Amino acid sequence: MTPDAPQHTSHGPHSSRSSHGPSGQRGGGSGSSGGDRPRRPRRQYVRKRKVCRFCVDKIDYVDYKNVDMLRTFILDRGKVIPRRITGTCARHQRWLKLAVKRARNIALMPFAAGA
Amino acid sequence: MAEERIYELIFICRPDTPEAEIDKVISTLQQAAEEQQGRVEKVDKWGVRRMAYRVDKCSDGFFVFFLIHGRRSEMVKELERRLKVSEPVLKYLTVRIDEELKRQRKLVARRERRMARRARKSAGETAAAAG
Repeated sequence: MTPDAPQHTSHGPHSSRSSHGPSGQRGGGSGSSGGDRPRRPRRQYVRKRKVCRFCVDKIDYVDYKNVDMLRTFILDRGKVIPRRITGTCARHQRWLKLAVKRARNIALMPFAAGA
Repeated sequence: MAEERIYELIFICRPDTPEAEIDKVISTLQQAAEEQQGRVEKVDKWGVRRMAYRVDKCSDGFFVFFLIHGRRSEMVKELERRLKVSEPVLKYLTVRIDEELKRQRKLVARRERRMARRARKSAGETAAAAG
């Protein structure tokens, strides 16, 4: 009996419990919970789907003169915010990029570090 | 005859230039555009406003906006040449916008068509339900 015991432990808790059979289940809640793989917790939140603001507002032309609007799509440093963050669709991001570049050219927008 | 093209032109003057001188620049540009068979649709003086970065040690500038219809590509070249040589002008930008306006019109038309179709469809469905 005693020489067997270390062998069982080497096999792990699973094998020892399976050999015990139904008695192990009756043994207590702690035993059964250890045997079952803990369920992976479900996603607690659903990520909010981002929508393109230009599409929502039905914008067909991004005007480079509209500085206040363009400002919401650049960081303080003057960089254009990537669309993975703003949720802008590819087409509108392309137009936005063009508008920002034009605005920069005529000093309506900063190139970098809006100091 | 070449197709008509639409340009937006913005130039920035030093903030300390007297208004009369700016008007002079405007009138020369207008004249130059007309000489090249263009016509100035709109002139808008935005006035002195802050620039996003310093240009020639000026942090403010007097912005003037033009909307020009042109037929000859040389017109833009001539206008930009004049802006380049005129003393108070700090910066200028010409943008051709007719193609973008065309695209915009197309998108608007498409949206309206779609709305009309949708309206017709829903109207048809309600009629069918009633009938």
